[in-house]
Amino acid sequence: MSDTSPPAPATDAVLEPEPSEPVGAVQVRPARSRRTTAVKVVLAAVAAVVVFLAPAYIDAEYLTVANWVMVGAVGGMGLTMLVGQAGQLSLAHSFFALVGGVSYAVLAGPRDEASYTGLGLPSLLAAVLAVLCAGLVGAAFAPISGRLRGIYLGVASLSLVFVGFWLARELPSLAGSTSSGRYAPSLNLFGFDFGELHPELHVLNVPMGKVERSFWLYAALTALAYVLGRGALSGRVGRGWRALRDNEAVATVMGVSVVRQKALAFAVSSAYAGLAGVMVVWWYDGLMKPDESVDFGTYSTTAAISYLAICVIGGLGSLGGAVLGSVVVFGLPQIIQLVTSSDDYSGTGFTPGVITNFVFGSLIVLIILFEPRGLAGLGARLRAVLRR
Amino acid sequence: MSRNLTSCAVAFAAVAALGLSACSTKAADDSTGGGSGSGGSGSAGVKTDIGVTASEITLAALTDTSGVFKVLGLGITQGNQMWADDVNKTGGICGRKIKITTHDTGYSAEKAVPLYSKLKADNLGMIQLIGSPTLAALKKPLTDDKIAAIPASWASTNLDVPNVVMIGPTYDIESINGLSRLQSQGKIKDGDTIGHIYVDSEYGKNGALGTKYYASKHKMKVVEATVTSTESDLTAAVTKLKAGGVKAFLLTTTPAQTASAVGVATAQGLNVPIHGSGPTFTPQLLDTPVAAALMSGRYTTDAPQLPVQSDNPKVKEISAAFKKAHPGQVETYGPILGYASGLVWGSILKQACSDGDLTRAGVLAAVRKTTVDTQGLTPPLDFTKPGQPSSRSMFLMVPAKVPGGLKLVQTEPYVSPDAQTYKTPFQK
Repeated sequence: MSDTSPPAPATDAVLEPEPSEPVGAVQVRPARSRRTTAVKVVLAAVAAVVVFLAPAYIDAEYLTVANWVMVGAVGGMGLTMLVGQAGQLSLAHSFFALVGGVSYAVLAGPRDEASYTGLGLPSLLAAVLAVLCAGLVGAAFAPISGRLRGIYLGVASLSLVFVGFWLARELPSLAGSTSSGRYAPSLNLFGFDFGELHPELHVLNVPMGKVERSFWLYAALTALAYVLGRGALSGRVGRGWRALRDNEAVATVMGVSVVRQKALAFAVSSAYAGLAGVMVVWWYDGLMKPDESVDFGTYSTTAAISYLAICVIGGLGSLGGAVLGSVVVFGLPQIIQLVTSSDDYSGTGFTPGVITNFVFGSLIVLIILFEPRGLAGLGARLRAVLRR
Repeated sequence: MSRNLTSCAVAFAAVAALGLSACSTKAADDSTGGGSGSGGSGSAGVKTDIGVTASEITLAALTDTSGVFKVLGLGITQGNQMWADDVNKTGGICGRKIKITTHDTGYSAEKAVPLYSKLKADNLGMIQLIGSPTLAALKKPLTDDKIAAIPASWASTNLDVPNVVMIGPTYDIESINGLSRLQSQGKIKDGDTIGHIYVDSEYGKNGALGTKYYASKHKMKVVEATVTSTESDLTAAVTKLKAGGVKAFLLTTTPAQTASAVGVATAQGLNVPIHGSGPTFTPQLLDTPVAAALMSGRYTTDAPQLPVQSDNPKVKEISAAFKKAHPGQVETYGPILGYASGLVWGSILKQACSDGDLTRAGVLAAVRKTTVDTQGLTPPLDFTKPGQPSSRSMFLMVPAKVPGGLKLVQTEPYVSPDAQTYKTPFQK
């Protein structure tokens, strides 16, 4: 594949695809050998050990960044399925994150607060319901998503971000005030609290605080999101989406219900965004705060474009690529602010923060120029080199 | 492929085994922020925990040098540093030198959170915290970690915890004082209709709170118009006020919106007095077409600190030092506010030192015992009253072609009886 060809979306399998394989081809895979399965089990176990031990070694600020990256990864996986696999452009991802966050705050929030509506449900149940809420809102977008395609759908979905911004300001009793927000409880999993410090826990003599506990939680959620995504993409659902992406007419002839599959793709993608929204609330120590302006903040148009950037940089349609894309888009700006000290009173325009933006922008341009399949494509090349 | 995987697995397993056998370097530090309070005694037998050594006290400036408030952020940071240099020249506080670490959030909450995680490990407190999104995101962590911070935002709704050390009057007090002065000059009278255009945010809502209070005390009718912080054309809002027949109006908006509102009001012939909250003005507005209207005397504004153009010897000293250190940089009130923030921290640290407790908890206790004389940079500040602003007085100013773009209306800070009797949301 030459460098000048348009970006080809990755195929269903994230680890497997040969770069030369025709997109959407029905694969007849040889039965997996037992050895491969065993290796995968061992790898998963090792990864679990590494994740368990990481908080004992990594400083709190870098764990905080890692958690933020995982928020972006979960959100990005949802969007990359919608855009890369089902071929539906959406610029409303940050809106669905807002729906997830607000739903969680309302469902889990205390009942006895004067200024905020809360149902006082257990946090785990509230989180699951919040993800479902976001999915349902995404499905409710079906009448529009079913009729539009391409950039028209993108612009139509972008309007949702504005709707969300307006609604959050109109309904402060649900979303929290735009100024100081509202607080929702942290996740309490059968007595183990991820925000408080009880029960106390030490790993290698390191006390496991909020950030460390969140790291485990987020890693587990990211793994879960990945596994579920893989399941959807390698099965009937994923085939339907790809058929939809490649040719709606042919998909219809082959028995794929276009409207239903579009609605399903939006619902699944929105549910992922909703989970990312709940993770955002936990990341801010339980704070659910709507943005003060529509194009700057956590649920803004900028955030919607950031999610899209994750997908493009990671490689459209690749779940693993979404994780890598999030490292670049969500992680890099924070890491650069952390490693550069700004003890500079000269008043120059080139502060680390400004340089971050330059690095970030040029990186996107370079990736698009030299590897249109994004980081997933780089990974495929690397694997091909290793296999030789 | 599977061979590669196996070798990968072996490598990983080796890493994990090493990890299990090694001893973590993090075991010593306490990432929960609670502070074990080891009670290490300093040189003067003072209790210390985080951010204080035998020779140094470290304070953090969480500023904005790359976002929308970079000019102000840089100025405040330079003022903070000037104060630290002055203190260190005279032997420091409590036998310790002051060190300031600077961190740039770019006015974004998501960048502020990891930076906060980093700075809380080795800073005693925060000498600067810019931005309401940042303050909102960090308020609970600050409270949990017992860290005191001086925010560069003045909403009285944030005074519910002693961790928020606010310099000068809050936005609601500003509105009350502004209206009260207009009435004392006979520009408005009891029973009149007044207007208020404000950003629908913490900042604007808090300013409107003061207006509503003043109107209720003086049987006035308020015509309100809310805008979002990014709206640039305020025609609709001004038209609404004009239709309501306002005799004067207040602005609690961004500087760009001030330009729009003043311009539209002039064009529509709504030539009534305007009082703008402190953040509504920047000197750059005097390079816009509305400069004449702003300098016509119809527009007044206020601030908790003296303007650059002032006869106060301390301001002159700061201004001279600033010009020497940063030639070619535009002068703002930033360094003055930054220096005043330093003086506040200086008083708090001296109080904590005389209590023999420079721990974070000790500093929080000291805040509630501290009154500060900022050498005239601000009105006298009093942090002993929970939930109340440290001062209800403010400097009244009008735009003028001088460095900093503002000149004093009167040399003494202004305070009205209504502002003194007004009860802030968290006043005990």
